[in-house]
Amino acid sequence: MTVNYSDVAIAVISTTLTLSPFYLFAGMGEIVSEKSGVANMGLEGIMLMSLVTTFIVDAVTGNPWIALLAAIGIAGVFGVVFGFFALRVRLDQIALGLAVYLFGLGFSLILYDVAFSSGSAPNYVSLPPIFSGWGTVPVIGIILLKQNILVYLSIVLVVLTALFLNRTSLGLRVRAVGENPKAADNMGVSVNKVRFLAIMFGAVMFGVAGSYFAGNFVPGFETNIIAGRGFIVLAMIYFANWKPYRVLFAALSFNIVYALQNEYISISGSSVASVSTLYNMLPYIFLLVLIPVFGRKARAPKFLLKPYRKG
Amino acid sequence: MVVYAGGNIGVALSSLFLDPITSSSGIQQVFVLFVMFYTMALGVGLALKAGLWNIGAQGQFLAGMVMVFVVYLYLGFMPWPLLYVAMILGAALGGLLWIAVPTLLRVKFGANEIVVTILLNVVAINFGFYMLSGPIKSPGTALGFPITTELPARFQIPNIISSIPITYAVPATIAIGIILYFLVERTPFRIKANTVGESSETARYAGISIPRVMTITMLTAGALAGLAGATYMMGYRYELDIGSFSTNYGLLAIIVALVGRKHMLGIGVAAFFFAYITFGAQSMAVATNVNSVVVFAMEGVMMVGILLGNYLSERKKIA
Repeated sequence: MTVNYSDVAIAVISTTLTLSPFYLFAGMGEIVSEKSGVANMGLEGIMLMSLVTTFIVDAVTGNPWIALLAAIGIAGVFGVVFGFFALRVRLDQIALGLAVYLFGLGFSLILYDVAFSSGSAPNYVSLPPIFSGWGTVPVIGIILLKQNILVYLSIVLVVLTALFLNRTSLGLRVRAVGENPKAADNMGVSVNKVRFLAIMFGAVMFGVAGSYFAGNFVPGFETNIIAGRGFIVLAMIYFANWKPYRVLFAALSFNIVYALQNEYISISGSSVASVSTLYNMLPYIFLLVLIPVFGRKARAPKFLLKPYRKG
Repeated sequence: MVVYAGGNIGVALSSLFLDPITSSSGIQQVFVLFVMFYTMALGVGLALKAGLWNIGAQGQFLAGMVMVFVVYLYLGFMPWPLLYVAMILGAALGGLLWIAVPTLLRVKFGANEIVVTILLNVVAINFGFYMLSGPIKSPGTALGFPITTELPARFQIPNIISSIPITYAVPATIAIGIILYFLVERTPFRIKANTVGESSETARYAGISIPRVMTITMLTAGALAGLAGATYMMGYRYELDIGSFSTNYGLLAIIVALVGRKHMLGIGVAAFFFAYITFGAQSMAVATNVNSVVVFAMEGVMMVGILLGNYLSERKKIA
């Protein structure tokens, strides 16, 4: 059997670019949140909710943009709730995150069942590509032009997040309340206000990521459809030592490994399910191996997971 | 939510509170859930005492379930009582090996155990799929829905009294809880673990070997979660299919450990409470035609409620 390697290369790059925005939006949201000292481990639950919201609002309005806004809105509501319990009530962030995850896991399917009860499936595909009609142009068209705008925005977001954290005064305050909230407070920074803003930024990004998942990963909806990919974002951030550009690197390399094994399975034409599931483990093993190599020097924000009590 | 889905409040409430104690299958499932929650939460609580988060009980539980069948199929030449014991120990070993990775990375490389245990949960599901669709698959099953062979009756955990569906796993689990209570709460180990959990600086001054305490607590936690896999398979399901992968009992165990305040006996009470409410919620969902995943949503809300209650009662004490 002859394999056309340039076709394979194009498919791998194309898949990598299509999958990465999910990790980048979620990753940037979580980085900013964690930099301020709050880990939101409920991100997958929030993304499940915004994923379902996208399907429902799109089915009602027929407009994927309104669906995206609604997804952001619902994620924002979760952000407010999370912020209230994490900052005001000072609940344990890990427990709160798991509670949000479980809630989203169960409630998203209930919503889906109620909305599409008659057995009708959502026909949401994804946002339209910005250069419609160019998708068939060889190489450039297939790799770049057929992508939707969120793909480009996700790369821009990485740059903006890095600039925001390192070059703006609000970014400095975000880092300050995560590293030394007491000192920040003494300097007149309202610790919980900054943390709340960071949580809300995170939630909004989870909304975009969840909405992007629809139509770009697995078609349709089922229980636990994100299948741990949200949790993977936490591992990527750790590996990346809380640096935005390294999250970009982590997301791209993770997806390249994913796309490679995916292509390999389809080329080798192996119909043996047991073999392909073994290859499916590769991207995760890849991350796992990177963690002791690169995560060794990783240093979390000093007050990550620690609620702040004034005085 | 339930009313919206077309249910009747009376039916819903009676199935939530009464089904767990009035029906035979209710009693059975409440105790099955109790055993799993208690076993896994003991491990999570133990690790928490040493300041370590084992978010990966679900993955270790999965490894345990798989190991039951690996031992059963590949060590089948052993005589019955030996194989029976080997299946249980094999499951514990599976959970132990699964947590050995994050333990090693934590102790040797300082890698965060939260991140690695979470990552391994995802790997465990893929690994489980692989094992299920190949090495431990029953040869007769249809493509696309792999399942193992059913364990014959002599490899199942029997009921204590044959007419009541409560197996020997229940007293065995309570015994483990009591033993751990004495080992952990009543010996110097408690102080050691707590010191490591609260301040590594102090622990070092006191001459406590931090890696040792970490390794012991983590490996025990993994073995316990693996053991839960054995009781689930040998005491209730008897066969493994994809449905058992997405149960999330391992995550619920974390909540149980926190609600039980990391106390080896308190966790038992919390486990029973959660088992009761989980089954009640499931049967309420069935009675009102709501998808039973609603249980997860309810448990999420409940968990926040309980933590909130804890917080409010503590605040009252201070004031």
